[in-house]
Amino acid sequence: MKNTRKMKSINDLKRAIKTQIQKRKSKEEFILTVSAGTCGRARGSFKVIKALKNAIKKEKLENEVKIKVTGCHGFCEVEPNIIIHPHNIFYQKVDPKNAKDIIIQTILNNKIIDELLYSDPITKEKISQENNIPFYKHQTRIILGDNALIDPTDINDYLSIRGYSSLIKVLSEISSEEVINIVKQSGLRGRGGAGFHTGMKWEFARKANGNTKFIICNADEGDPGAYMDRSLLEGNPHRVLEGMLIGAYAIGAEEGYIYVRDEYPLAVKHVSLAISQAKKLGLLGKNILGTGFNFQIHISKGAGAFVCGEETALISSIQGKVGEPRQRPPFPAVKGLWGKPTNINNVETWANIPVIIEKGADWFSKIGTNGSKGTKIFSLVGKINNTGLVEVPIGITLREIIYDIGGGIPGGKKLKAVQTGGPSGGCIPAKLLDLPVDYERLAEAGSIMGSGGMIVTDENTCMVDLAKYFLNFLRDESCGKCLSCREGIRRMWEIVTGITEGRATMEHLYILEGLARVVKDASMCGLGQTASNPVLSTLRYFRDEYKAHIIEKWCPALVCKRLIPSPCQDACPVGIDVPSYIALIAWGKFNEAVDLIREDNPFPAICGRVCNHPCELNCKMGEFDRPIAIHSLKRTCADYVLKREGYKLPSIQSKREEKVAIIGSGPAGLTAAYYLARLGYRTTVFEALPVAGGMLSVGIPSYRLPREIVKAEIDAICDLGVEIKVNTAIGKDLSMDDLKQQGYKAIFIATGAHRSLKLGLSGEDGLKGIIDCVAFLKDVNLGNQKKPGDKIVIIGDDYISADAARVCKRLGSSEVNIIYGRSRKEMPLDDSEIDQALDEGVKIHYLTIPNKILSKEGKVTGLQCIHTQVGKADSRGRGELIPLEGSEFVIDADTIIRATGQVPDIAFLDRKFEISRWNQIVVDPYTLQTNVSGVFAGGDVVTGPATVIEAIAAGKKAAASIDSYIKEKKFEGYKRPKPRMRIEPVKLTKEEEELKRPEMPLLSINKRLQSFAEVELGYTEKMAIREAKRCRRCDIEE
Amino acid sequence: MITIRLNGADVKVEEGWTILEACKFYGIAIPTLCYNEGLSPYGGCRLCLVEIGEGHRAKLASSCTYPVEEGLAVHTDTKRVIETRKMMIELMLSISPNSKVIQDLASKFGVTKVRFKIRNEECILCGLCVRMCREQMDGKAIGFQKRGYKRKISTPFDIRSEECRLCGGCIYICPACQLRCQGPEADTAVCNACLTMDPTCLDHYDELQCWMYDAGRCGTCVREKIEKEKTVSSKS
Repeated sequence: MKNTRKMKSINDLKRAIKTQIQKRKSKEEFILTVSAGTCGRARGSFKVIKALKNAIKKEKLENEVKIKVTGCHGFCEVEPNIIIHPHNIFYQKVDPKNAKDIIIQTILNNKIIDELLYSDPITKEKISQENNIPFYKHQTRIILGDNALIDPTDINDYLSIRGYSSLIKVLSEISSEEVINIVKQSGLRGRGGAGFHTGMKWEFARKANGNTKFIICNADEGDPGAYMDRSLLEGNPHRVLEGMLIGAYAIGAEEGYIYVRDEYPLAVKHVSLAISQAKKLGLLGKNILGTGFNFQIHISKGAGAFVCGEETALISSIQGKVGEPRQRPPFPAVKGLWGKPTNINNVETWANIPVIIEKGADWFSKIGTNGSKGTKIFSLVGKINNTGLVEVPIGITLREIIYDIGGGIPGGKKLKAVQTGGPSGGCIPAKLLDLPVDYERLAEAGSIMGSGGMIVTDENTCMVDLAKYFLNFLRDESCGKCLSCREGIRRMWEIVTGITEGRATMEHLYILEGLARVVKDASMCGLGQTASNPVLSTLRYFRDEYKAHIIEKWCPALVCKRLIPSPCQDACPVGIDVPSYIALIAWGKFNEAVDLIREDNPFPAICGRVCNHPCELNCKMGEFDRPIAIHSLKRTCADYVLKREGYKLPSIQSKREEKVAIIGSGPAGLTAAYYLARLGYRTTVFEALPVAGGMLSVGIPSYRLPREIVKAEIDAICDLGVEIKVNTAIGKDLSMDDLKQQGYKAIFIATGAHRSLKLGLSGEDGLKGIIDCVAFLKDVNLGNQKKPGDKIVIIGDDYISADAARVCKRLGSSEVNIIYGRSRKEMPLDDSEIDQALDEGVKIHYLTIPNKILSKEGKVTGLQCIHTQVGKADSRGRGELIPLEGSEFVIDADTIIRATGQVPDIAFLDRKFEISRWNQIVVDPYTLQTNVSGVFAGGDVVTGPATVIEAIAAGKKAAASIDSYIKEKKFEGYKRPKPRMRIEPVKLTKEEEELKRPEMPLLSINKRLQSFAEVELGYTEKMAIREAKRCRRCDIEE
Repeated sequence: MITIRLNGADVKVEEGWTILEACKFYGIAIPTLCYNEGLSPYGGCRLCLVEIGEGHRAKLASSCTYPVEEGLAVHTDTKRVIETRKMMIELMLSISPNSKVIQDLASKFGVTKVRFKIRNEECILCGLCVRMCREQMDGKAIGFQKRGYKRKISTPFDIRSEECRLCGGCIYICPACQLRCQGPEADTAVCNACLTMDPTCLDHYDELQCWMYDAGRCGTCVREKIEKEKTVSSKS
């Protein structure tokens, strides 16, 4: 700073301003204005400046090109940005690499670099001028605009934009009373939040008794996501000083304080510099400009307590006491700092004063609405395209701020709400988008203007979670003096946390609401009085979301981690806590993992082998790599435990006298038995066949599911006290009425679907060589291991067709064909299973349907097939099959196996049961109860052939429903699965982070075809631990 | 002398009095906890809240810290005041269920259940001890530490203060540790013994200790209640 001569009169300052204005006008060199507020610096503007300087030096342009480091320009989204004067070219997101291009192309060759220009997100048009960018175009930047013009560290730069001319005007022409009148007429209201009329406040302070008075600039900005005060102090500190000088003159104060957070080092630096420069020029100190007006400004640095933004706490803090509010009255205007009359205004309020004096109260009051005048700076953050500081006339609608200036919501998502006013503010829902933003309208909508934070939320934001966030902030930031605020906020936080974690009841919501009102009413200062706003406003507009959390234990925005388990758990029909058991495996805790699985599924070893694992389809890992081998991991840990000590007996509630009968010992029946036994019931399972297990034992071949595994898991259920009576067919050996008479309180029918459907082809009946798939598999599984024939065709619409084919191969059939009407993609089989079948020599004909059975002398000789084409999708989403004329071909065969679906065999049931036209038992889908009281049904007998895991889910549900029925309670129905525990993730080494999913080790082909030995050998324990470590633990990401 | 409108009646009060002092002078009972005549008013416990102003601008203020003003309208027992007061007692009780002072307040104001999780922290941060030490004992040995929910009372740097002369004034004045509630289930919930069952304090003291003693002197209400319960139980 060359001009350091102290100015002794108003004329000196006038002359200085004139000189500086002329200097600015006469400048002919290029000026590169680089934004370097805290935000710009964080995004690397200093690196850009350095690169630019180097480039300038290289081209020897030091005299022609100057760099001006300014404060924040407001458009944070595109920082660091550069404006090139005199052409006003706006470059965004400048990288140090661009520096050379900017100097050579734009400065030397007068060419605009297209890549650095802002392009309109909708029209994709490149915009070169700052003023044409929608973000700036719709703003009214009377305060912030100057940030881009001046170097905040140079007072002369401020003078060159007519800075301090309002001070001249005041000192030379206007009396103190008149200044207050102007401010009153302008209608300026406090920008700190409450919106008290500034002129009135000044008048109180002026009229207060006493000669010593103070003014304070409140720069204790602490709302999360709000930084307008910081950017003003950083980018234009002299303007705030000028406002304070005018205020001091009007009120009659000789000393002022700027209370600024220590976390704002750049703001502190720039303000300190500005004060010392103003002192040197004689704009602060004794006898300012020879007018006899004395004014000093001190900086008081706060330690970052949010509550110190409250005026009485702030005063207390400046005095070196604990930053705690006290009861008003007496108001600071009467008894403030050191007991003297004190006037406190926010940074932005002070910054407004010079403009009002310069342009007049009339000009100012034309901007804004009836009750709220001027402009307001908002910090627009959150789910918004153009993050940044926006200055708009008060009364503009939210829609204009969010869509015209903010550019809308990223990713085309829907706007949910706007949170204004920081932690003390509230949420305004999207339906109130046309609300004019002014003090009164916001208050009516349940929010506040606050200091101007504006957090935009989209549909993926949970409003309960948002309320929890602010409560967490406030419970930390409450000073703790008032019981209502300290304890009230803490309790509200506890309740809201309980809601987000699914622990709350509707009673809690009632308590929360009552408590919120009390905290609002009973607290001493503004912090406590507004602390309930986040809760009350979200309750007002988003009560349904709270209810969903409480009643359904469901977070509609899929945010609250405790309620929304990981997608794998969500996908599992029985809701096994997948992430936790995977994590336990990663820790090597196989026993605990099995215990955890068996809480939700009594058959870990079985499901680890034959489950169609919908969990893996939904694994997040599958989005960028192969999904975690969830079912194989389950198998590994189950095998590990079974091989050693066996399953631990799960907890059993106290024994009860009631007896429950279960008909059918398939997965559904046994699962129901497992849960009923755990609830303490005396449970008996009746099985018509000589072995228990249903399809597990007689359907699925043992190379996929070894019999000893089935036996072990069934034994584990018997260990709970479940009695299984094999060779007892209901309807033949015992009747349903017998069961009732024997004192069974409830009966669960889970007989499965074992009767194959016919093909519907002519000559099907009476021919030798046509067999049922289910009957065939049952026969083989029960020990009759004779090959059905040499040349086999399996007509497979069903998932068991591959089983039949592979069994035939093992029994020695030479040619095994499967014909399937659709493509491989649509086949209801796991990819690995199809591959294994193909490896074993099974031929699969896709897009083929049977046309005619060829026979000779009552024996099958072949099957004529026809190729098909998949047509338009029907209402279920499956394409219609259209036979292609002329594509007929014959497959030679001596045996045809029908695997075209099964229906339940319910001949044993009385007439009184309601049966659907698919031969399925009709039940109440909610309780699984049939039309006969006390008789329940589930599994394949209700749904038709389905997967093992779905049968298990039905058994689990039936057990809960039967329990409610016996206890005469209302059945609460299905609850969304929740994580059962929280397991910390394993720390991964560098090598472990790169792990890939291991292939399943398989038995060699030769060995496979010779026996029914298990094909998939399973992961070793070491492999399992490594695979489990691949889980990214989306369940605990916060 | 200035005039305030106290519960609808215009009354003359000294300038410089707080609302609480004015109410005391006119015999209107306002419960207090962090207030003590010998100490500066603090306004932390929010028990002495009264409603000031009228119409939609009416608000609650702590009477111990609010100075009387000419024409100020004060209502001491509105629905708003009583509900807030009950919530404050419930909050205090949830932190310090062993304090007899707080249990008595609960019985007196009909707080019969605590809907929050009991924390048994004892200290309710009323600040009486801090003020006692500073103002009456000239000690300044203890003070508040931290803020928000982490706030606690301690000596500087949590080490024994040289300022402390072990006078015991802090313990003397403490509402949480001076008297332990002897109620049967005070550890977990509200005692309310004096409202709902035999005055169990008689097992420990010669005289009835609960607030009822102070209020009714005779304890009839307690006896009547017990007799009523007895007749009900004998009938059933």
